Amino acid sequence: MSTDNKNTMVKLRNVYKYFGQLKALDNVSLDIYDGEKIVIIGPSGSGKSTLLRSINKLETIDAGQIIVDGFDICDQETNINKVREEIGMVFQSFNVFPHKTVLENISLAQTVVRKRSKKEASQISTELLKKVDILEKSNEYPGKLSGGQQQRVAIARALAMKPKLMLFDEPTSALDPEMIGEVLEVMITLAKEGMTMIVVTHEMGFAREVADRIIFMDFGAIVEEGTPEHFFKNPTRERTKIFLNQIL
Amino acid sequence: MAEITGKKETKKPVIEIGDGPAIPRKTDVGLFTAWRFSFIGAIAIIAYLAISKPDPYLAILKFVPDGILVTFQVTIEAIILALVIGLFTGLGRISKNRIINGIASIYVEVIRGIPLLVQLFYIYFALGRVINLPAMVSAVIAMAVCYGAYMGEIFRAGIESIDKGQMEAARSLGMTSSQAMMHVILPQAFKTILPPIGNEFVALLKDSSLVSILAVSDLLRRGREFASESFTYFETYTMVALIYLIITLFLSKLVSIMEERISVD
Repeated sequence: MSTDNKNTMVKLRNVYKYFGQLKALDNVSLDIYDGEKIVIIGPSGSGKSTLLRSINKLETIDAGQIIVDGFDICDQETNINKVREEIGMVFQSFNVFPHKTVLENISLAQTVVRKRSKKEASQISTELLKKVDILEKSNEYPGKLSGGQQQRVAIARALAMKPKLMLFDEPTSALDPEMIGEVLEVMITLAKEGMTMIVVTHEMGFAREVADRIIFMDFGAIVEEGTPEHFFKNPTRERTKIFLNQIL
Repeated sequence: MAEITGKKETKKPVIEIGDGPAIPRKTDVGLFTAWRFSFIGAIAIIAYLAISKPDPYLAILKFVPDGILVTFQVTIEAIILALVIGLFTGLGRISKNRIINGIASIYVEVIRGIPLLVQLFYIYFALGRVINLPAMVSAVIAMAVCYGAYMGEIFRAGIESIDKGQMEAARSLGMTSSQAMMHVILPQAFKTILPPIGNEFVALLKDSSLVSILAVSDLLRRGREFASESFTYFETYTMVALIYLIITLFLSKLVSIMEERISVD
């Protein structure tokens, strides 16, 4: 893939992260370019989520460098809140705000962080609710929504900040099977619109369809990376083959 | 005083004993009737005594209401101040800043280790030698400082009971930790801590009888004034006890209604 003329959105250099004795990230280096869709796969405990969470500093790394959108996020001088405004994050457990209506969920950070007026925020929220096809639930509380609907609200909430980069941390793992499709659909639409996305998932169909690059991690390290073509037809590393055999 | 357990992952059995009247719940039939029995009983006894023996019972009833107002005044002022202290103490107790955390934790330890009566004496008589505070002000400050420590623990537990994904989601959207606290965590925590705060209110109202020692004319003090003039100790303190009982029973009923409303949504 020719990447010379593209800007780097995320740059990781020799990143290490430990949880006590456990090496969660082991010398990870990675460049992600504007508009690229990266899917990270690997067995549980392989460091996929930790890698993703390091990018918006929900985890602090122990060594190495992470540069996001030109900002060195490990630098004490960097205002991490400003960087996070540009990074949308979607969680496995949705984490919608249960005390706010669907519309308020999406408007909250727009008014508090982006300082948009209530009216402007509501307009943007309404448009996004249309986009994730859940407009009719605007005034409901999340408790009344299905998992799939909550996750779509969570995606809309992240998009409302007009982020440059979206992180998805196993967005469909907590969903009942019949709801996975509706969430993936939204993500595929987003990908087609050119959003830069990093997705940790076990959905191989999604990886095959959307990913520009798939990254396979194990024991905190990147074992293999390549196009879906490369991955599903002729993976080179033994560990990758074993993993793909297990899940396909 | 009522404690609540904050961390969801603790699986240890918790014995919940508040020191107010047990809160009546609809499901708890025995307690519910016990509440009704005591409440109606107390009112009936007061009414019977006042009508059948107006001297001294009716005279007592006419004499003490000023004191009830003072009792409520002390309680409400102290609880509001205690809530403010408690909020900051709770936030301090979960702060990652070691100094702030240390100050809050030491405050809680020290205050919880000293009896309220001693704290009252300390602020009024001991500190009174340095700054002379009116009795009422001393009383409110002492009660608030004492209950602030307990409130701090309630706030801490309430905040910690909120799933950490909520904070992560808020921070991921670019909110500062105080914005996240204000808009996401505290509004949710407030629901959890409202019932224990209600219990603290009831407990504080009862403990407010201690301020009568500082010459604050609360319900108990008014009773004492009446009794010492008329030598009707038995009659007066019976009435005072019954009035306290009715007030606390009524308030704990309010707390339980509030608790029910909250659990509905």
